[in-house]
Amino acid sequence: MVFAKLNPRAIALGLGSIFLLAACSLGGSSGGNTQSASDVTVWTAWGGNELKAFQDIVKPFEASTGIKVHITTNRDSTTGIANGIAAGTDLPDIAPATTDPIQLKDWISKGAIKPVETALGDQMSAYVANTYPGLVNPPAGTTGDDPYIGIIGGKHYYLMIKFQVKGLLWYNKHLYTGQAPKTFSDLLAIDPTQYGAQKLFCAAFSSGAASGWPASDQLDNIIMRQSGPKVYTDWIEGKQKWTSPEIKQGYQALLQEVSAAHVYGGTNYVLATDFQKAGEGLFKASGSYKAGCLFLIQATFQPGLTSFANLTAGVDFDFFPHPSMGNSQFDGNYNGFYDNYAMYNNTPAARQLMQWMVTKDSQQIWASSGVGMSSNKSTTYTDPVFKAAAQIVTTGTNMLVTAGDYMPTDMRNAYWQSLLNVTSNPGSLDSELSHLDQVQAAAYKSS
Amino acid sequence: MEQIITAVVAVVAVPLILLGYIRLGEAIIERLPDTLQAWIRPYFWALPAIGFATVFMVYPLIRTVFISFYNSAGDKFVGWDNYVYFFTFPDTLTSLRNSLLWLVFFTFFSVLFGLIIAILLDRVRYESLAKIAIFLPVPISAVAASIIWKFMFDYQPPGTTQTGTLNAILGAFGRDPIAWLINLSTNNAALIFVGIWSATGFCMVIISASLKGISTEVLEAARMDGANEFQIVRLIVTPLLWPTITVVVTTELINALKTFDIVYVMTNGAYNTDVIATQMFRQLASAHYGRAAAVGVVLFIAIVPLLIVNIRRFQQQEEQR
Repeated sequence: MVFAKLNPRAIALGLGSIFLLAACSLGGSSGGNTQSASDVTVWTAWGGNELKAFQDIVKPFEASTGIKVHITTNRDSTTGIANGIAAGTDLPDIAPATTDPIQLKDWISKGAIKPVETALGDQMSAYVANTYPGLVNPPAGTTGDDPYIGIIGGKHYYLMIKFQVKGLLWYNKHLYTGQAPKTFSDLLAIDPTQYGAQKLFCAAFSSGAASGWPASDQLDNIIMRQSGPKVYTDWIEGKQKWTSPEIKQGYQALLQEVSAAHVYGGTNYVLATDFQKAGEGLFKASGSYKAGCLFLIQATFQPGLTSFANLTAGVDFDFFPHPSMGNSQFDGNYNGFYDNYAMYNNTPAARQLMQWMVTKDSQQIWASSGVGMSSNKSTTYTDPVFKAAAQIVTTGTNMLVTAGDYMPTDMRNAYWQSLLNVTSNPGSLDSELSHLDQVQAAAYKSS
Repeated sequence: MEQIITAVVAVVAVPLILLGYIRLGEAIIERLPDTLQAWIRPYFWALPAIGFATVFMVYPLIRTVFISFYNSAGDKFVGWDNYVYFFTFPDTLTSLRNSLLWLVFFTFFSVLFGLIIAILLDRVRYESLAKIAIFLPVPISAVAASIIWKFMFDYQPPGTTQTGTLNAILGAFGRDPIAWLINLSTNNAALIFVGIWSATGFCMVIISASLKGISTEVLEAARMDGANEFQIVRLIVTPLLWPTITVVVTTELINALKTFDIVYVMTNGAYNTDVIATQMFRQLASAHYGRAAAVGVVLFIAIVPLLIVNIRRFQQQEEQR
């Protein structure tokens, strides 16, 4: 027997060594908190070109400081951080913060997330001065906390890195030769067949586990222009009922966009198709028509999606700003999704990296990368899409967040789901809105 | 490096600790009186397994029940609130209804098809080849199967080329395409069909193995007595297969309750296709640990009777041997 040949003393020695090793290794970290001045651990949700751009930002930082940045792509970093906080395990030094305001408040109350003021120190005022006001200040006319851009208790918790402008009207330049529609009514009055397109709009709302968000971007752009920033932010904060006339009116406008009369392929196609393919109809013939649709409502990242591959901005396609929803005082509102970073471990290396990420040199790398818009308002763009989008941002009135992304998770999920349901069955609008009121009543409680 | 050391320690330490436990324990037991040795040895050998089961199964179960009575942050006792939420909220009620649909239709059809195919293939020369074909979906992961079927169900606007196989077939007969995964009257059926496609091979193999155990003499005697083939299947083969069918049914019932991957990949619960497991995951991903734990406890309670039936059946089979 094997056991019989083993010396008990050797076994005891082996066991002792193992326990010693185990004890040493358990003293290490799983989440990556090094508490170090020479290392910093970063989680990112980015991959592909975005990750490459971020690595380009990190390289000069590592070269000039000697600090080693350990980047880990974690597509579900919010869950990872939430679990880490709940379990009391180590967190990365820097990672995106949750956009769920209830969860953010919980993390702050537990001391898991550190204020940007702590990270930037005396550079804080320069950061606020150099960043687009909408990213660091509450919307005009509101005061106090704005959890949707990470301001709680007067402190900032999101370090705004880059953003995308949403609600743009993309079109095929070889097809549409008309002027930018000024109002929603003007838009709906355009006859697509006059330009050789079958329908007015292309749309696709499928996005795996997050299906429905492309529709929410469209609706957000409608509501903030129909009813203004107060209603819009109240709605995000759970103070505006879903069954209120303002929100219902917004849904009704969206349903016009995706009605069988206006949308390419019909509602089943809209619901069954991945958002990345939504732009195909702008360039693909449909029956006797040169294209399936005339317009697609999407964000500044649209040129990076597969349906625009091998096409040239300004030559093959271009965009218009979202038309007015008939309430001119709110025409200057626009919105976007903001990529943020937050600091979880207050180490010298983490602070230095946070400080580097908001410098103009670092932000210019984002601006030049063509993957998004820099949060620093003095950066310059060579990409014609981002250059034009920067013009919208600079001249706009209120820079708002995309509502769904910044609602509590339950509310957001129910919101996205409702958009799929009403697109599928417009007759269910009232019952869907009532259900959303029911979700709202529970979702904004902190526990 | 630290992670590598931890991994190596974990992989090497557990077997070595067990080895040390056995070696040292046996050295002690051997010094005990014979009667005490005979009494203590089974417990000694079973103790590591009981220990592992306690740490990795019993403790998490108790902890889950505990968490299910607390709020999301885990710092406030909320009584039955999480269970009330589960049994009253429209979304969770939809998931319950759908799990019931899975329970009935997935189990019934996967076992029925498995039984029919096993009996039919038992009578053909190319049995092995046909069995391989039917069994082929079983080793495919549910995620891969779901992606395959997502392509099969793909939908393009009417009047354009259909890239989805099923809609291409409909188009060949001049019919409009169907948005299988969107349409409320077809989506749950479509998902359950994918489940049946994945599970039929497993049912067939188990039933087929049992079928081979039926004595040909019994079947010959029935034929001599004038029974036709349908009567033989109905009155002799099926009753003899019943113990096996019970095991397969209970196994598939458990699988139906645990259904997650197919729904998650193909619709993620949209358009009223949510099931209990996807609901549990959603609650967990939303950091509602209390609610997620409550769903887990409900799922566990639903599965326990099926486990008991299965274990008893296995015990009976052991006793018969």
